Amino acid sequence: MALNGDEEDFKWEPPTEAEMKVIQARRERQDKISKLMGDYLLKGYKMLGEACEVCGTILLQDKQQKNYCVSCQELDSDIDKDNPALNAQAALSQVRERQLAAQSPAPSQAPELNDSPSSSQENMSVPQPRPEHCEGAAAGGRTPLPPPAVPPPSTPASTAALAPARPSVTPQSSAQRLVLQEAEEAVLTKLRWATNQLQSSASLEASIQLCSLINSCANSLRSLKELTQ
Amino acid sequence: MPPLGHLHMEHVLQAVGVLEAVILRSFGPEGGQVLFTRDTGQVLLSRSGTRILTALHLEHPFARMVVECVWKHSSATGDGSKTFILLLASLLRLIHAAASKGSNVSHSYSSTKAAEAATARHLADKLLAFGLKELDELIATGVVPYGGCISWEDFTVEAQTSSLTNNLCVQKLLRSFFHTRCGYTHCDFSSHLTCELLSHWNFKNQLPSFSLQLVSDYFPALHTPVSGFPVRSSRLIEGQVIHRDFATPPLKTDHQPVKAVVLTGSLQPTLLSTGDVLELGYRGRMKEERSILHFSSWMESSLQGVIAKLQTLGVCVLLSAVKQSAAVLALATQAEMCLVECVSEDELSLFSQLSGTTPIWDCSMIESEHVATLAFCRPIQLGAHRYKKHTSITIKPCSLIICAPGEGQIEQYACALQDAIRMLLRTWEPMLAAATTTSKSTLQSHKGASLHTDSLTEQTPYRSIAIQPIQKPGCVLSAGGLFELLLHYALLQHGHSCSVSPDLNIDASVSQLLANALLSVPQKIYSHSPKFPNDSHPFSLGDKLSKVSELDLGLESVSCKYQLLLAVLQCVASLLKVDAVLPTHTALHTQSRRLARTSWEDTEDEGEG
Repeated sequence: MALNGDEEDFKWEPPTEAEMKVIQARRERQDKISKLMGDYLLKGYKMLGEACEVCGTILLQDKQQKNYCVSCQELDSDIDKDNPALNAQAALSQVRERQLAAQSPAPSQAPELNDSPSSSQENMSVPQPRPEHCEGAAAGGRTPLPPPAVPPPSTPASTAALAPARPSVTPQSSAQRLVLQEAEEAVLTKLRWATNQLQSSASLEASIQLCSLINSCANSLRSLKELTQ
Repeated sequence: MPPLGHLHMEHVLQAVGVLEAVILRSFGPEGGQVLFTRDTGQVLLSRSGTRILTALHLEHPFARMVVECVWKHSSATGDGSKTFILLLASLLRLIHAAASKGSNVSHSYSSTKAAEAATARHLADKLLAFGLKELDELIATGVVPYGGCISWEDFTVEAQTSSLTNNLCVQKLLRSFFHTRCGYTHCDFSSHLTCELLSHWNFKNQLPSFSLQLVSDYFPALHTPVSGFPVRSSRLIEGQVIHRDFATPPLKTDHQPVKAVVLTGSLQPTLLSTGDVLELGYRGRMKEERSILHFSSWMESSLQGVIAKLQTLGVCVLLSAVKQSAAVLALATQAEMCLVECVSEDELSLFSQLSGTTPIWDCSMIESEHVATLAFCRPIQLGAHRYKKHTSITIKPCSLIICAPGEGQIEQYACALQDAIRMLLRTWEPMLAAATTTSKSTLQSHKGASLHTDSLTEQTPYRSIAIQPIQKPGCVLSAGGLFELLLHYALLQHGHSCSVSPDLNIDASVSQLLANALLSVPQKIYSHSPKFPNDSHPFSLGDKLSKVSELDLGLESVSCKYQLLLAVLQCVASLLKVDAVLPTHTALHTQSRRLARTSWEDTEDEGEG
């Protein structure tokens, strides 16, 4: 595009209103990120020379040598609200779109419906925040997301764990059981990790946070067990 | 970090934006203080931007670069570190906006982002050139007429009793400085104390910058921190305080004058060091009764000779930079000489400066020129410690005792005082940093009765190299963003006049950019004051000026502000010149890091490095 700039008389036009809104939103988000990072720096976190691979924000490191990305883990991402895997509304709208598009080839409607969310699920597993890259104190306070309300019967949305693609032709109860099992596994993994950390932890604050993480893991396990019953 | 290119501007902006967010809450007359705590329970209280920024853990290269620039600027001018970061952030944002707008018309770049980076760099260089060439003229014509000049002779005049119009005096300048640094409660008292200190160290027939430089250089030796007392107990005392107690019993008779010698080496020569083997006895003969006792008694007798020589010179006081051996202590007590050990280098150099003597290393070569004459020398009890106090005959020094309830507050007050003196120095000597280092070397080459006008002639050849400033020394202005507002309008006018002629079109855009960046400072000062409306309102200059003078935030120095602007422009240019960042895994940054960090973080540095 810029190579042609020599020949063409490219005039700079002021951004349209929609673009202005986007620019404004981005600027506000950047300000929020800066403020959060400033607060963390004053709490004793270290500003690293690396940037997060997902969003490009500068990484912070806490006293336990854990890297932490402010925008990935605290702020809601710009694009998360459009992500069907994390948002029920987006999933609904995507299903409706596919329905409209697939209405002409009528017989293959049902399997198509079932296949497409699973394929979208596979695609969507990539931009999820990866726990092994960005772990930190905030993760301690958060319980893993409970399985969202399943709007259409054939769309099993994933939880905060890595989501393997599963065929979704099975009826609701077994799909739900599968999802709950995955959730339980994820919570147990976190519980195990937290226990290991607690054993080797030397700092008071870290121990308190780990204990609260264990507490919330236990609570989530309890609620998951209630769901299966 | 990936080699730069499109990520460059964003990373720089983000790093500087984070630093801005850190200091923003402490900015302005209503800004808060930051309380740092350590795991050991030690507490540091500060509102100084430099202190806050150097206490952060930063490994990001751009952030560290910026903090180092701030630290260097602050050690030269003593003030303005938070304003530095604010100006830097707004300037970078505006350059980024201008570069992304203008990159469409650039040629021969492989991507728009590279073009953007090149445009930004170009803009920054133009800004710096503009700042170095035309800015001081603009300040002289557009800003200085709205301010006034403080004369050095009036600095002991009280603000209330001043008959000068506009109440311009050094005390007012200092009061506004202490107000922003230490809070409102003690700003009057602190400014009064500083003026007293400076009046004692003021020498006739000298430029004010001479005594200010002296006090600034020797400030660590000139003040004594005492904790556990209220701030109002701080006072000046006569004489120089050596922060060590006597190692031998002090002088019994207070006969004047007292003669003293400064020793940098041990009186007892160390003939043996660890690992040496001493062979006693004759060569080839039967060993007689030679033992180590004979050797040590021979050493003692040589020591006695040295002490006897000192006695003939009439010396009663020995100031030693190192710890002396027990034999020396015993002999000195016997000879009724008092000895102070382990005196710090600063204090010894101040002593040499005041008394006009040089310290000796080899005690067998003591001459009368090494002997200083003191008016008195006695112990003094300050707080929980006992120190030694003395004064010389020719010059009457005075020391400052700073009292505060806690250690953190003492440090805060001591730093504020030192920065205040640096700020005053910059006000009366508005030179660029290159010229000021020469004045230090001329101080050290003094000997004898050092404080006479020879120093002036030595300094003047150096001054001709530096850029001659147009504004007069001692120029001040009302504080509270007035400087930025006035300069903003002056730059806009300059831009309009430049845009008329096509050659100077470049200058017009540059001055426009700088003018817009300057507005961020008064915006942030008044953002939480309901009296002052947002800058988006079409207020005229007169209205804004009247609002600023209403708030009466005191005075600030024009040359410090000019220095600040130049430092910001240089920092921007050097930040945007970076092409690539290479990560290394060895500690390359030891020296500058230790300089930049306070002693607060020293132990942690050794662990990380």
